Amino acid sequence: MKKILKINIIGLAAFLMILQSCGKMDVSPSDKVTTGSISNSTDGIINVTNGNYAMFKDVVSFNGFKDDNNEYLRQYFQMSTFAGDNIVCGSRTEDPLYYSFTYTHSPSQANARYFWYVSYKIINGANTVIDILKNKKGKDALNRQLEGENYFLRAFCTFNLVRFYAKPYNEGDPSVNPGVILRKSAEEPSAKARASVKETYDFVLSDLKKAAALMDESRGKAYASKEAAWAMLSRVYLYKGDYDNCIAYSDSVINSGKFTLETSASFPTYFANALNRSETIWAIAFTPADNRGKFGSIASMVYSDGNSGWGEEFASKSLRTIMSKHLNDVRWSYIDTLYTDNGSIAKKNGIEIFYITKFSFQDGDPNLSSPVMFRLAEMYLNRAEAYAHKGNVNSALADVNKIRKNRGLQNSLYTSVPTGKTILDIVLNERRIELAFEGPRLFDLLRNHRDIVRNYWGYHIPGLTVSDIDLSHPPTGYPNLVIPWNSSKVQYYIPVDEILANPLCVQNP
Amino acid sequence: MLMKKILLIMIGVFFFSTGFAQITGKIFDENGEPIPGATVMVKGTSNGTTTNSDGKYSIEAKTGDILVFSYLGYQRQEISVKTKNIINVYLTPKIINMKEVVVLGYSNKTKTEISSAVSVVKAAELKTVTTNDIGKMIEGKVAGVQVVTSSGEPGSEAQIRIRGVSTIKPGNQGPLYVVDGVIGGNYDPNDIASVTILKGAGATGLYGARANKGVIIITTKTAQQSKPSFEFKTSIGVRIADQGHLKMMDGLQFYNTTKELYRDTINHKIDLVKFYRDYPRELSTRNYNWVDDAFNPALVQNYYLSANGRKGGFSYYLAGTYYDEDGTFMKTGYKKGNVRLNTKYQFSKNISLKNNINISNDYGSSYDYMDLYYTYLNLPWDNPYDSTGAPRYVDGKTKGWWSRDHINPFNTIKNSDHNYSGFSLDYDIVFNWNITKWLSFNSANRLSYSTSKSHDFVSPVAAGTYHGKGYIHERQDNWKSFITTNLLKFKFQLKKHSIDGLAGFEVNNSYNNFISVEGKGLPVGFDVPAVASSEQIINGSNSKEIFRSLISQVNYNYNSQYFLTASFRADATSNFPPDSRIAYFPSIAASWLVTNMEFMKPVTKINLLKLRLSYGLTGDPDIGASRYMGLFSLNTQYNNYPAAFPYQLQNYHLTWERTNEMDLGIDFGMFNRINLTVDIYNNITNNLLVLASQPLSQGFQYRWENGGTVTNKGIEISLGGQIIDKKDFNWSLNVNFSKNGNILSGLEKPIVSTVNGISQIYRNGAQLYTFLLPKWLGVDPQTGGPLWEKITKDSNGNIIKREPTSNYSEAAPQEVGHALPDFYGGFSTALRYKNIELYAGFTYQYGNDVYNFVKQFMNSDGHEPYYNYMVPESGWSRWKKPGDIATEPSMQNNNLSTEPSSRYIEKGSFLKLNSLTFSYRFSQKIVNSMHLKGLKLSIEANNVWTWTSYSGQNPEVTLTKADWSMPGVSDFRYPNNKQFVFNVQIKF
Repeated sequence: MKKILKINIIGLAAFLMILQSCGKMDVSPSDKVTTGSISNSTDGIINVTNGNYAMFKDVVSFNGFKDDNNEYLRQYFQMSTFAGDNIVCGSRTEDPLYYSFTYTHSPSQANARYFWYVSYKIINGANTVIDILKNKKGKDALNRQLEGENYFLRAFCTFNLVRFYAKPYNEGDPSVNPGVILRKSAEEPSAKARASVKETYDFVLSDLKKAAALMDESRGKAYASKEAAWAMLSRVYLYKGDYDNCIAYSDSVINSGKFTLETSASFPTYFANALNRSETIWAIAFTPADNRGKFGSIASMVYSDGNSGWGEEFASKSLRTIMSKHLNDVRWSYIDTLYTDNGSIAKKNGIEIFYITKFSFQDGDPNLSSPVMFRLAEMYLNRAEAYAHKGNVNSALADVNKIRKNRGLQNSLYTSVPTGKTILDIVLNERRIELAFEGPRLFDLLRNHRDIVRNYWGYHIPGLTVSDIDLSHPPTGYPNLVIPWNSSKVQYYIPVDEILANPLCVQNP
Repeated sequence: MLMKKILLIMIGVFFFSTGFAQITGKIFDENGEPIPGATVMVKGTSNGTTTNSDGKYSIEAKTGDILVFSYLGYQRQEISVKTKNIINVYLTPKIINMKEVVVLGYSNKTKTEISSAVSVVKAAELKTVTTNDIGKMIEGKVAGVQVVTSSGEPGSEAQIRIRGVSTIKPGNQGPLYVVDGVIGGNYDPNDIASVTILKGAGATGLYGARANKGVIIITTKTAQQSKPSFEFKTSIGVRIADQGHLKMMDGLQFYNTTKELYRDTINHKIDLVKFYRDYPRELSTRNYNWVDDAFNPALVQNYYLSANGRKGGFSYYLAGTYYDEDGTFMKTGYKKGNVRLNTKYQFSKNISLKNNINISNDYGSSYDYMDLYYTYLNLPWDNPYDSTGAPRYVDGKTKGWWSRDHINPFNTIKNSDHNYSGFSLDYDIVFNWNITKWLSFNSANRLSYSTSKSHDFVSPVAAGTYHGKGYIHERQDNWKSFITTNLLKFKFQLKKHSIDGLAGFEVNNSYNNFISVEGKGLPVGFDVPAVASSEQIINGSNSKEIFRSLISQVNYNYNSQYFLTASFRADATSNFPPDSRIAYFPSIAASWLVTNMEFMKPVTKINLLKLRLSYGLTGDPDIGASRYMGLFSLNTQYNNYPAAFPYQLQNYHLTWERTNEMDLGIDFGMFNRINLTVDIYNNITNNLLVLASQPLSQGFQYRWENGGTVTNKGIEISLGGQIIDKKDFNWSLNVNFSKNGNILSGLEKPIVSTVNGISQIYRNGAQLYTFLLPKWLGVDPQTGGPLWEKITKDSNGNIIKREPTSNYSEAAPQEVGHALPDFYGGFSTALRYKNIELYAGFTYQYGNDVYNFVKQFMNSDGHEPYYNYMVPESGWSRWKKPGDIATEPSMQNNNLSTEPSSRYIEKGSFLKLNSLTFSYRFSQKIVNSMHLKGLKLSIEANNVWTWTSYSGQNPEVTLTKADWSMPGVSDFRYPNNKQFVFNVQIKF
């Protein structure tokens, strides 16, 4: 009986301990914060702002998992450049990047869906900060800077969306053509219609002006700044066809004194070191921990040292042709020809291999770079294009020459427009070479109502097989060699996910 | 009792004096275990005795007498006395043993008392397959349980689905495991005494809160008898990769296939001049078989040693197992050691304490998906080895290499490791106190700890993306759980009424955390994180899950004729928000045992007729912690500073997924030899936990919500019989059949999920895992191009026209098949002649569709000129000229032909000879002469043959819906094994 009593007591004690150990049932995640607690400190606001930048370079989980291919910047460069005429496709691939070459887009293609999704995720993050700071009184300089950065990021993402998913501003009526969905707060109802192209531009411009006014405490080239907002105003006004404002904001950046052009000597090492160079206005910082390697880096598709990447897309024949007049142009340093042992140019699936190295060699790594979003050269070239449209030939040529002087072409400056060319041809050619592979080429063509001409051998030609390729003459009689600038195929489809879940959103034709 | 014994002895003495002989011997069960308390009678007399604790008996009888051996639950055996004085007897169990105790977890019941759908698999029935996985052991043996072996990777587990699939969320879709009455736990299959599978709500009810997907209860062995006894079992065998119908082309076959690329589009003749210029004839003689080199016969071994016994109030079972399985694919394998000690100490008549400890340690070598990928796709023209026989270093600059991507997987495998190891400890302490005759207290507690570590390493000398740098990634996961169940149990008997029940509470806290490190810049020859000099990344976090439950149950029966069970439990989990955390799970079950009624007494041929009806609620909270909160994740950085990104939308109404389960069953037995069980059920799962699609423009793809219903309706039939049942010859046959229909309703809008470009739709009125793809209409006989179906709809959405199109983007996705079978099951037959036994077990599945994803790569229509092709199945033909009726498009006119479509949907039906066993049990005489208690030898073959029309490796493909895997899609995967094993079992 004594024993029983003893066991009883032990049992009771154990029982009480058990009840004690249950504790409370609320479980907080160890590596996340609740949305409501962000506003409690400036730290919270800085972290969210940093997170908005991080999403440009991070692989964000999509469809429940992280696909190394899914990175904002990788999709941004591929969706723009691969649809243009500077890069040729050297191999068919399962990767949806292939559809940008072939113009066989669909509402369910993964890269365009991811790009749309992460753009709005960044906008949601930006809105979270804007919602907190918008009506706050007595903000210090840091809080004003952070609020400005978030207006800037919202504008940047919205503008890239309208470039991919809507018609150019000057095609048809921008106040009728659908633009994109404008998210103005993190607390909006989930279903919302697309604004018009004009409303979208107005929203972007208004955000950028607020951003420029708020940002006085620059956090460095890895972050948005007052000058970055001006640089983007220059770009948006150019796309809008408001050339005076484009010139004005280009001037603001150029005259700020904060940036200088890389020289012929320094340009070949510029992109590997963009964060530390004075030409850079804003670049997305990649640290070694952000190296996506072969399976996700931007470089992987366009360069390989034999092991580092897939290396399946190359500088196009038509780009090389216009560059071939000046072999001393230092911009050739970003095109790396692969040779075979016998000295001939190596081929992949019958296509000659000209690797592209604008996204390589930060810290010497073939897959690492901090991609440049805005740099001074673009300001000169934006201004040049604006002058060209306004008929101010001399000013346009001066800006073009300013670039050429710093690219090894000091002996090949323009004194006048060559016969058979227009000043716009000269500017667009210079833009094509200078900004090659950085994204704007496709939009330069669309904005200026020029067709996308890809009359070179490559796997953008449907059904092409190796045995069809004869490099001694250009391909003829194949479909897809010319995409008219006003073809509806040029715009990406609104992702199927948006259409299904948002009944107010209309699809592109 | 004592009087009876004395009387028997007296009678014995009397007979002895009149020339009777003393017959002695032992009585054994089907496993060779002695049976204490069995009865031995001389037929037609009252002369009888019972066996002692070692199963021994001794009885007086004369030549010509017939001895009758019997034991509860076993078939009577009659043996006539001849000249031998020693008669040892093996009893075979009755097929229907209504007194048999069935372990139900919180309580145990006899079969008579159970009113819901329960299946039991005994240890002996499990052992027809040598494996470390319970799923493979029960495959095809239980109605209503679908087992899919979709991978042959060492250490891999089969997927189990009980009564269809009731959830559409990703993650765990398999049943709840209960070991020795407590949720969760580890065990070794050799330690299993029995497996109980709970299917209907009446039985699952007590686990209701987590029982949506069925429950598998595992009971481990305990002491059998007082004298210490030992068992040693060893299995050694060989495994061979089962590539099914899949065979890659040899050098010449691929050479001839490549010629098709040079067929000109005008005359449809192959331009051989151009072809020989680009592809030298010598290539056709190169013939390296990547698949044959990568897959080799592998050894599998299992050793098991156990001891058990009882002394005074103390009983014990101690066992150790070592399992070692080599992989058929290069450098893969799995090893596991397991020790279990089950003890029970009876303090007094009313108080006992059980301690069960299980310790296990395992180690595996896995593989990288891409290595498997290139093994299949690299060309037979490329030699993986250099002149010394070592795997060649190949990179993008290697000359004379034909295969796409310039990768030699054998070199990568040699220079990389993908290992994991694990350790787990479970300690159970169970206290039982019979407070009074009718009331007892039972406290079951378990502390579990497990840890696992993965190690991925690529040497700097390996070709590929880590060349010159190397890569290391290690991750350690720790998991800790504490569960306590405290129950008061009561039991009354009042004349013909008996009533019993229980009430109590349960608390379950589990904690997990992980830490992971990775880095590059390794010196050659080192593979630890410490030496990583660049790109170091650390990761790690922790979480916990808390359950609290109140449990109660009442059982009533009237005269063992009518039975009623009612249970009720209330559960709270930390996974849901405070206001919707608690849910209630009632269930009720009733049965009528017709054969126990007075009016059935004269009907002797029918030995069992029972009708069962059950209804109840079960739940599923399985979504992980904090899914209801609005969150920003800090798991990233920007420019080396902390960063937070929008992670999750909040939903403070999130709650349990719950199933209404209804089951109607009948158990029927005739002649004590035939047993039939039929169940029909209707399970309606409401409040499905779904990742509801959001407009992406909100910045979120999904939000966790409750919505929609899955209904699983089905019928299950099991039929078993002893066709021949003689002393020296038995023949038994078992068949089971399960049909489950599955339908979705109540979803606000359809959900389309896409993995690798392949889509499935979840919509009202359709079944789960329905493929949504453009419909393939074959090859245009005129052009050789691919054709799909274009659908034109009018403004109301009605289809007004269907026509072929050669434009893939015009082909609307349609519903073109489903991954779940229409019906499935198994059948087995066992023959015994004297000491020889032969067993054959089959499984089958019918009506499911498989998406042959690898065929997109292995039959690329010329899209991938540097990937190898699979050898065409008979009936496949490639288009060559106008007018050809072909199945595969022209390589000149193949635009988008390998894009996802119903072209890759194939029938997944199969019949598989899963197990074939031949065994020999040495006679007791020989065994005794060797001073043993039992000796059995057997040869077994597993996964012997599969009959199927599926063209790939194996029609058994994953049923797991996860972010990276889609049910019914056959990706590149580790092939299943054919296995041939020799077993020795010794008891002493």
